[in-house]
Amino acid sequence: MAAPSIENGAAPSVARRRRLPAAVILGGTILIVMILAAVMANWLAPYPFDQLHVRDRLTGPSLAYWAGTDEYGRDVLSRTLFGSRLSLFLGFAATSIALVLGVPIGLVAGYYRGLVDELLMRALDVVMSFPSLLFVMLILAITPPGLVKTALVIGILFAPPVARVTRSVTLDVMTEEFIVAARARGERAAYILLREILPNVWPAIVVEGSLRVAFAILLGAVLSFLGFGVQPPAADWGLMISTSRDFVDVAPWMAITPGLAMSLTVIAVSLLGDGLREHLDPKFHSTR
Amino acid sequence: MKPLLEVRNLTVRYATNGAAVTAVRDVSFELAPGRAIGLVGESGSGKSTIAGAILDLLHGDAAISGEILFEGVDLCRLNSKQRRKLLGRRIGTVFQDPFTALNPAMTIGRHIAEPLIHHLGLSPKAALDRACHLLADMSVPRVRDVAAAYPHQLSGGMRQRSLLAAALACEPPLLILDEPTTALDVTVEAQILALLADLRRHKDVSLLFISHSLGVVREVCDDLVVLYASQAVEQGLAGEVLVRPKHPYTKGLLASLPRVVVSGRASRLPSIPGQMANVAQPPQGCFFESRCPYAEARCKTEGQALLDIASQRRVRCWKAAGVGDWPVVAKAAAAAPRFSRSDALVNVVDLRKTYRTSHGLDAIRVDFSGQGPALSYRPKSVNAVDGISLSISSGEVLGLVGESGCGKSTLGRVVLRLLRASAGSVEFDGVPILHQPEKALRHFRRSAQIVFQNADSSLNPRLSVGEAIERPLALFNLVPTADRRRRMEALLDMVRLPRSYQTRYPHQLSGGEKQRVAIARALATEPKFIVCDEPVSALDVSVQAVIVNLMADLRDEFNLAYLFISHDLAVVAQISDRIAVMYKGGLCEIGVTAEILRRPRHPYTEALLSSLSVVDSENESRSGRLRLFGSIEAEDEQISGCRYQARCPYKVGAICETVTPPLRQISQGHSAACHLESVPANGVAPSYANPPRS
Amino acid sequence: MTVYVLQRLAYVVAIMAIMSGLVFLSTHALPENTAQVILGDYATPETQAALEEKLGLNRPLRVQYGEWAGGLLHGDFGRSLILDQPIAPILWAALAKSAIIAVAAMITVSIVGIALGVAAAVNYKRPFDYIASALTYLGLSVPEFFWGLILILVFGSYFQWFPTSGYSAPADGIGVFLAHLALPVVTLTIGLQAHVSRLTRSSMLEALDSNYVRAARARGMPERIVILRHALRNAMLPTITVLAQDFGFLIGGIVAVETIFAYPGVGRLLVYSMSRHDLPLMQAAVLVITAVYCLANLAADLLYGVFNPRIRYGRAVD
Repeated sequence: MAAPSIENGAAPSVARRRRLPAAVILGGTILIVMILAAVMANWLAPYPFDQLHVRDRLTGPSLAYWAGTDEYGRDVLSRTLFGSRLSLFLGFAATSIALVLGVPIGLVAGYYRGLVDELLMRALDVVMSFPSLLFVMLILAITPPGLVKTALVIGILFAPPVARVTRSVTLDVMTEEFIVAARARGERAAYILLREILPNVWPAIVVEGSLRVAFAILLGAVLSFLGFGVQPPAADWGLMISTSRDFVDVAPWMAITPGLAMSLTVIAVSLLGDGLREHLDPKFHSTR
Repeated sequence: MKPLLEVRNLTVRYATNGAAVTAVRDVSFELAPGRAIGLVGESGSGKSTIAGAILDLLHGDAAISGEILFEGVDLCRLNSKQRRKLLGRRIGTVFQDPFTALNPAMTIGRHIAEPLIHHLGLSPKAALDRACHLLADMSVPRVRDVAAAYPHQLSGGMRQRSLLAAALACEPPLLILDEPTTALDVTVEAQILALLADLRRHKDVSLLFISHSLGVVREVCDDLVVLYASQAVEQGLAGEVLVRPKHPYTKGLLASLPRVVVSGRASRLPSIPGQMANVAQPPQGCFFESRCPYAEARCKTEGQALLDIASQRRVRCWKAAGVGDWPVVAKAAAAAPRFSRSDALVNVVDLRKTYRTSHGLDAIRVDFSGQGPALSYRPKSVNAVDGISLSISSGEVLGLVGESGCGKSTLGRVVLRLLRASAGSVEFDGVPILHQPEKALRHFRRSAQIVFQNADSSLNPRLSVGEAIERPLALFNLVPTADRRRRMEALLDMVRLPRSYQTRYPHQLSGGEKQRVAIARALATEPKFIVCDEPVSALDVSVQAVIVNLMADLRDEFNLAYLFISHDLAVVAQISDRIAVMYKGGLCEIGVTAEILRRPRHPYTEALLSSLSVVDSENESRSGRLRLFGSIEAEDEQISGCRYQARCPYKVGAICETVTPPLRQISQGHSAACHLESVPANGVAPSYANPPRS
Repeated sequence: MTVYVLQRLAYVVAIMAIMSGLVFLSTHALPENTAQVILGDYATPETQAALEEKLGLNRPLRVQYGEWAGGLLHGDFGRSLILDQPIAPILWAALAKSAIIAVAAMITVSIVGIALGVAAAVNYKRPFDYIASALTYLGLSVPEFFWGLILILVFGSYFQWFPTSGYSAPADGIGVFLAHLALPVVTLTIGLQAHVSRLTRSSMLEALDSNYVRAARARGMPERIVILRHALRNAMLPTITVLAQDFGFLIGGIVAVETIFAYPGVGRLLVYSMSRHDLPLMQAAVLVITAVYCLANLAADLLYGVFNPRIRYGRAVD
């Protein structure tokens, strides 16, 4: 029937709200601050990340060391700041790779359907049948670890879920009649994919992308926690938490600082993603 | 006698996002026991909100003032729990959409038994038995099977009957129905309405019937309230209000209804110009003033009150007594053009489209009945379009009528090569187009366009109106870039939209406006042929008339040919030169409009014609009407014989089951596919109460 | 329904075959020489050649795979290089221990997640909802190993209520057995319930907004029945799917949790084998974990089929 209004007992929508939801603003701000901090770590950090102060090892938070020192006397705050670089790079690099690989696959599968779709989806199913952590661990165990390689592997691993989501929204859009109208005009596939489908699909992709960034950061952290990431003396959050396990009784700040930093980053990214979903979704489904 | 339901000065206000919207404004009416009252209005009129207020189903931020007295108790004073106790027990409800109103994870029997167990304390077994009785009351065949079935296994008509049974389970004195037949085919609707009439005779139930359809309300209701933009504008006996309306809006609404009559190409439906008043910012004076042909200065400034003009009759218009009929648009009668079949623009020959409903792994069936599991491969297919031949000449409108699932939309799309045909041929302008490579189809794509039913979905929400209309111009390079804007504006003029709309986005337009943009976009390529797939079905009645008129005008101006697809025979009759009736993939009958309407030759056509409700005849009885059994979706696949034989009351015998009747020419330009020579003019038309076979 | 089950089974078999091939390839067909990887720092041309001879690594891949796969089907997983013992018994023992936490965690996650999700949906936009959302965020965003560490800090070191590492057999006392399970299971639950409660909340909200719920209310059903019998029943379908997805997270979580709590399960075995380059053990562990994952997904698919009448009863009635 006609557009929903008071007809269905729903409160009538008056002016369309253009303001960004609080989640987007909050999450976005925190994220930007973290990115800036990572970029400017060299200037912000009070000490180089690998500088030892053996006499001050395992001291708690103080004026000299805002977050205390670790077992070698290194400043935990500085190491945390530098660690953000690795995590953020991993998160965004892996997600970019996943998007570059996954979005075209999803679009093509959703648009052409039929045999192409079947084959692609089966191939993706096979890749997704592997538990993700195992997959990455396997690759990193056999071959020498490295940040770029980790990002690549995670990116390839995340491409299938991105492709699935893209395909799913593409299928939704394909049922819309403006696509049929475009085909009735004899538009070519490239035009339909880029100018009719993609502009209606990118909100869902952005939301999925933000989810992937969060997952990539977490996955990277687990990997380095387990010893498959960068090696000591690099400053990496997962690695820091791993080595802090043995000192948790005497120096809990060694674990808490990087842990909090990681949690804050991921929360920020999640908030951003959720807020974007809330903000972008009603616009597409404006008739609902 | 004390009224069962009495609504006094009901006002419902929403306060969302800071702006206050009054959805229902000071509405009052009474429902006496044993009577049926209808609330009629278009979308936005507030009719469903009234039901929501009675049932406590409105959104949390709705402020309700006034009184709703049910059996003497003011419902507004009760809290949610107390109200909930009454619902189901004393008030039954049936909602619009039978496809979503049933819990997909619960059997039908459970649905009906639930209120019995909860309100009346029956045991589950007793409740299930009673549920089966109720289903039988609703004329449901094989009640045990249906009671054990899940909603997705049943057709729309069956579901609605089940919902009716559930609503009446506890034998409530009041039954509220909110657009109960809107989502159903017209023949199924006829069955449900007959059922309602039956129920009123045998059970002691009063109806509150909400609908946008005046014809349906005429058939069901004793009393009527006409709503416009949150206000009641006319109230009285249904027969009176619909035959002798007093308020200009009611007159306009009645006038703009397409009738199943033969109208010439020059005739246009009377229509109500403009749009419904914005309930968020209502005008100062009469709400209808901007669209009223009788408006005076006084109407603009003075709010209108509901006046009693006779006993039981109220109108919200101070001019009601003196106002005449709704102005009819008179057009110069043009000579009816003759269309020859030999130089048809579109020629379809034996077109077929078959869908495989199960194939590959899905078609493997495992049978455990013998010794060991037996595997068999049984792919199923559906003939959506089953050998259809027709032709359309330039400037001609061929109406294609049928119920949901008959394949008419599929046919339209196959003709435009939007779906791949399984067999047959389509010639456009002399050129066969089904097997050409896409590259060679440029001329065809330009000359043949499509307009859809759902205007929401046919416009890309990311493109502005101007961009959407300009795209075809750019694609076909019809005008140099510099002139595109001007051409786009000219197109907007053609569909009578203001030029300022070019920067708007679809979500800022109303349904009718969106549809006009879609039409403008189709016209941009200067086509010769447009497939119109239910172009007005999703629009309000008053808007439908405007769009139909527009399409007729465009046809005349540009000598366009239409394949006008619709389930609404009245709309089709208004604009079509010829009509084709389709059933389950095949053509039943095709011929000139006048012939089809006056002298149908196929039983299905006759059934369709008789299922339509007639709004303004003095005689409202339908005892002479033909009813159909079952519905198109409810049938199993059948292998041979006439497609229609399972529902046909004139079935002659074995021949109908074995031989598919070919489309036989009966007279010049009129063919029908039936073994009977002709449908008996005064045949014993079996009524719904006595079906010829069970 | 039968066809659905058969389809899924056939699919699992196919996946397992492919998986075994992939696992095998990944350990035997990578750029770095396999023997080199195993030997690590001790790799010299002589030791490499000797190892290759001993393990038969210079035979064609097909043959090696055939031998390995054949062994698998007989339950023989080969021999651990580092421990110099048959892998199968070690693997099964470790798997059993992991299964205990996994099952306990999934049960807790299901109960807590669904309950929280339903409660949040019913209290939409009220304080409880916001608190539940905050908890969900924390659960989702903070990695398990950090939670584990916090729990160790609070309950292990500070309060000293629970042991922070190891495993104790039930035979040695149920109380101690459960105490060892407590922290690992709670750690896993915090992270996983977030997914479940979130999805349950949104599918409940959707269900509560649906037409059939509206119709049920109009029939006078009390809210409790509406929520539980009408809304939840339908909201469960997506939840089942997410529980299946969660299994993937669970596996990742188990590896991390077993490491941090030094719990002798298959996750820890895996990490051990990877860090020591014990290829046969690694292959076996990866394969077994993947098999469990596939079977869990299969179970979820079947459960979904049971709950969804459209799949259980296909065709039309009248």
